[in-house]
Amino acid sequence: MTTSLQTFFLLGPEIALVAASLVVFLAGAFAGLRGGWSVAIVGIVGAMALSGGQPTDGETLVSGSVTIDGFSIFVRWMVLSLGLLLALVQAGDLFRSAVGHNSLHNRGGTCEEAGTFLILLAGLSLVGAANDLVLLFVGLELVSIPTYILLALKRTDPHGQEASLKYFFLSLVASALFLYAAVCFYGMGGSTSLAAIGARLQSNDETIVGMVVVLLPVALGMAMAGVAFRLAAVPMHFYAPDVYEGTSPGNAALLSTLPKIAGLVLLVRLLALGIPAAGSLTATDAASIGAGATSHLTLFWQLTAVLAALTMTVGNVMALLQKNLRRLLACSSIAHAGYLLVGVAVAAAAAAAQADRTLQAHVSDTSWTLGLGGMSASLFYLATYVLATTGIFAAITYLGHRWPEWNSGSGPRPPREEIAVIDDLNGLSGTNPVAAFALALFLLSLAGIPPLPGFWGKLSLAASALEVDWNAPIGFGSRRAVFVALAVILVLNAAIAAAYYLRIIAAIYFRTTKRGVQTDGGLSAGFAMLICMALLLMVMLQPRGLFVSASRAGSGSTFASIRVQHPTQTIDPQ
Amino acid sequence: MQNISPATLLVLVPLLPLVGALLTLLLGKILRSRAHMPAITGIAAAAAVSLVLLASTSMQVGAGPSSGEHAEPVRPVEMITTLWQWATVDKAYTPDAGSAAAIPGTPIGELTTEMRPFSIPVVLRLDPLTAIMLAIITCVGLLVAIYSVGYLHDDPGYTRFFTLFAMFVFSMSMLVAASNFLIVYVFWEAVGACSYLLIGFWFQKPEAARAAKKAFLVNRIGDFGLAIAVFLLWMTYGTLDFHDTLSANGTILPGILGQTRLADPAGMIGGAVGTAICLLLLLAACGKSAQMPLHVWLPDAMEGPTPASALIHAATMVTAGIYLVARCAPLFIASPGALVMVSIVGATTALVAALVATVQYDLKRVLAYSTISQLGYMFASLGTGTMLGFTAAIFHLLTHACFKALLFLGAGSVMHAMGGVIDMRRYGGLRRLMPITAATFLCGACALAGVAPFAGFFSKDEILATLHSKAWPNTHGQQQSPATGHAHLHLSSFSSDAVADDLTADALIGLDALNCPDVWRILFFMALITAGLTAFYTFRAVFMTFTGPTRVPAEAGHHAHESPLVMTLPLMILATASLVLGWLLFSTHWLSHFLSATPSFALPAFGQTANAPVFHLDLAIQGTLAAAVGIVVAAIGHLGRRSDGPQMERFLGPLGALFANQFFFDQIYNVLVVRPLELLAMLAGIIDRFLVDGLVDFIASLPLGIGSVVRRLQSGVLQRYALAGVMGVLLIVFVLAWQLRS
Repeated sequence: MTTSLQTFFLLGPEIALVAASLVVFLAGAFAGLRGGWSVAIVGIVGAMALSGGQPTDGETLVSGSVTIDGFSIFVRWMVLSLGLLLALVQAGDLFRSAVGHNSLHNRGGTCEEAGTFLILLAGLSLVGAANDLVLLFVGLELVSIPTYILLALKRTDPHGQEASLKYFFLSLVASALFLYAAVCFYGMGGSTSLAAIGARLQSNDETIVGMVVVLLPVALGMAMAGVAFRLAAVPMHFYAPDVYEGTSPGNAALLSTLPKIAGLVLLVRLLALGIPAAGSLTATDAASIGAGATSHLTLFWQLTAVLAALTMTVGNVMALLQKNLRRLLACSSIAHAGYLLVGVAVAAAAAAAQADRTLQAHVSDTSWTLGLGGMSASLFYLATYVLATTGIFAAITYLGHRWPEWNSGSGPRPPREEIAVIDDLNGLSGTNPVAAFALALFLLSLAGIPPLPGFWGKLSLAASALEVDWNAPIGFGSRRAVFVALAVILVLNAAIAAAYYLRIIAAIYFRTTKRGVQTDGGLSAGFAMLICMALLLMVMLQPRGLFVSASRAGSGSTFASIRVQHPTQTIDPQ
Repeated sequence: MQNISPATLLVLVPLLPLVGALLTLLLGKILRSRAHMPAITGIAAAAAVSLVLLASTSMQVGAGPSSGEHAEPVRPVEMITTLWQWATVDKAYTPDAGSAAAIPGTPIGELTTEMRPFSIPVVLRLDPLTAIMLAIITCVGLLVAIYSVGYLHDDPGYTRFFTLFAMFVFSMSMLVAASNFLIVYVFWEAVGACSYLLIGFWFQKPEAARAAKKAFLVNRIGDFGLAIAVFLLWMTYGTLDFHDTLSANGTILPGILGQTRLADPAGMIGGAVGTAICLLLLLAACGKSAQMPLHVWLPDAMEGPTPASALIHAATMVTAGIYLVARCAPLFIASPGALVMVSIVGATTALVAALVATVQYDLKRVLAYSTISQLGYMFASLGTGTMLGFTAAIFHLLTHACFKALLFLGAGSVMHAMGGVIDMRRYGGLRRLMPITAATFLCGACALAGVAPFAGFFSKDEILATLHSKAWPNTHGQQQSPATGHAHLHLSSFSSDAVADDLTADALIGLDALNCPDVWRILFFMALITAGLTAFYTFRAVFMTFTGPTRVPAEAGHHAHESPLVMTLPLMILATASLVLGWLLFSTHWLSHFLSATPSFALPAFGQTANAPVFHLDLAIQGTLAAAVGIVVAAIGHLGRRSDGPQMERFLGPLGALFANQFFFDQIYNVLVVRPLELLAMLAGIIDRFLVDGLVDFIASLPLGIGSVVRRLQSGVLQRYALAGVMGVLLIVFVLAWQLRS
């Protein structure tokens, strides 16, 4: 692994984030809570400026274990802009389990939270740019560890501590399993470089073919544990409802968005291992795409398709029963992870189909443009999901607490309570029409009601699934049949999901309450809510902009590009 | 105006009313009684801009036709402004996709098996048809808005009215300016929503609420037709754009009504699919334009405020159907069977509605039936499928917008003065109390009845001439129906599509058989009779309202006087327009020349029919005679002495009861549709309460069973979560390994 000056240049935004976090930590000794988040926001804006200053004219820059391509730039911009929104939400997250009880304590922690948060963003951005198993893992840990701290800092009552401990231990399990998968990939590829592993998988070496049969299932399965935990997908989804319920809304916003990005990035990088680089196939070896690569792609789409179906359904069915708002949103975030997986499965299946065609035709099809509509659809969907979810949690953060029912004659006024269950939002349209409208908009978008962005996302996911093997007949068990079924499951799930989203809207608009919702959350969270709403409406009116950037990031060249610059770096494992 | 592009101006026409609507909504509480200011300013500015656009388009089209000679075809004038790409799904961003469709003349049926880019641009167009529609909408809208200031002063819903009003002008301008079927659909629904909200403007009144609901539901049927038509268009043509677009690699993607397709004789798809599309479009038009059998909502819609009736339910929104059929003219030309259906529906509606109008006593209902009848005229004219027919329909649309808005506003003025009473039996001789209203109303009535120099005379004469030329083709020289010539061409070009093959023949023969001179002769006489009836009921209303001894109902109180200037000024302007517009446009042939530059009318087949309208003396005499008879009969029945009793019905015998009950349409629908649906709803209610609720309760109790499994998994115990997760991963590993081995 070489480190050059260029690497520093390429990682400028991440370095800026870490530098800003250091400032926050140092200043934490004598600055207040406002100061911490202000510096954090300045840091994020600075990172954005540095990122914008980099040459991004479509070419791929590789330096050491860092790759800056269309995909990583998309991820970075998403992380930074989401970071900005989340910083506003977090700054306004004045959560108090019982008001007056430990508010001082919470306020003291805020400054460090800002620094920790910045490191988290830097880690996530690194994951997007990593081209090497080691950096990938380090980046992931750089996401996980600050998350533990944030969870523990925000809420110090037993509930909060329980939640953070649960998250901590389960995350450790997932990380350990992922590390094991990384070892297996290293075993197959003989290198930590993703490019080298990919090249090795695609070669037709006798040794690798034998090794794949043994190691690939373990590697993929274990890696999926790391992915599933971050996406909150089956089978590592159990933690989500408990943890969301036990933490503050600001942290729930963070948990339901940032790790999902990491999970999707991991999936993309893993999938890319099976895809040959543009132009790397010559006419002679076109007929011999490695058996390793084809098995990788086949297993990949089968696995993701099954997990997608399971995750969507489990998430939605669980959500139907929830009364607690944050538990419900946790279940909904599980379901959305399932939708995201649909697109990934489509991309993998399209790649597998392409491999089939190339093998059968004995030609070097250098284009490999891949019907990666699926990947683009997933990225688009991720963006719309993230916007709506952040908006919902921003709104809840902004609303803060409510007064319990209380007659002035019956003794002293009881303390305020957090907004916990759906019924706590009853009659919100009367007390806070703006927040009510925004919440309704976010929920409708998540439910996929046209013409909101969530609808466009679901539409393109379903359309991409129907596009797999478009011309093939629908035979039982064929790839086409699987994806038609997947599209149907997706649509059915969207219908199920509408039930519980609409229930919240019904509470907001059609029910009344005697106790008003008190807006005692930070104004900055309300500001974040408004930004989310404006962005959502913008995407509704003009979805093309986001479509285009998502499709650029998800296009085939991105996948192939990793290996264009890295011809061979293989170390023979024997 | 030199440095402002037409594209900017085109965008401004809908944008200004939209801004006006939003400002009215936001500032309504502050402005209070001046809440009309933003809306009227916006509409006025839009009217000015649309007149500029009309002038500039007219200049582009060029000078008038060279004195009746067969000049060379006018060059189509079209300008497209793409604002943004609204929806782009999937392959739309891969530039190569769909390039097969780009080669003109490729049999389009083959493309249906391809994944196509799905892309919906928000795109506006400017051509003569759009320009003239925009001018009508904004100018009449402006006059009606000014009138409303007086009509609705101190109504509690003042702000709401002007917000909706400006919103309607925005939606309607977008509807006629959009160049994509989906955008048309969106604003088709938007004008429907505005109409619904304005009919139910006084929603406290149960009749108003019921009328709004009825309008909404009946329109739903038509909108459903439009939706299916849009789906079919997408399946058939692979695009929803009207215009041609350039793809990224420089090839032309032909739009449905684009010039590439129009230049190609086989460009439009006929056959069964084409006929289905056209009939569905006709269904949509019937819903919006209140044609039989979907006309039942319009008379009830008179529950809304009179200015809304004047603009939406007389002058503009109800002409959306005319616009749609005119815009889709090439599609209809390719399906002659559907085309003749347009005429049959139109002429039948015209006659039936006119008959009903003869026995109505509610002034606004007379006018409502008259609107239905006049719209029927326009459809009858459109259905001829000749350039003359399309021109006549748009001409009549234009004059009708002026005189019908005038009549409605006049009726509103009467209603305003009479304290809300609109029953013609309860007042009379109002010409002394309200001289301006009476005079302007008379102008409108003359125009509607088709009295010689007024606007309606010329436009109705053109429609009669059009129908006459189809009925007696030999007497009109070169008039050769383009429709029949085209049919066979499309039969052959479409037979490659195996799916529709067997359907094609039957579907076409059935409807095509109607396209013969005998049918057209019947239609012509229906139109002629309608002309007489129109004159009768119009003057019956005039005589009952304005002549005879002065009588005022008790509700009027001290209100019984002429309306203020803000209401009478629009009346006077519209009256002037009704007087001069017809002669002006007819004598100069400007309209026919101008419209022939519309791309939709630029089909080569139109070339031979695109002659300037000629004044047919014999037809004019027939039309005038019919009108004269009608007026005389009305005078005999109603002039001089009061005629409160139902003599008309007595005179007509059982027919009178038929007319008075509007041909029992409401009752028939009640028995055939409403009752069964209510029964179904009741049944569904019972099923819902006992079966579905029981099932839901059962399912809800399942969580105690199934849920106990989920709960056990979701126990909150950390070790179990970890165990379940790891077991899941191990399961994955084993399944994958097994997959790889087998």
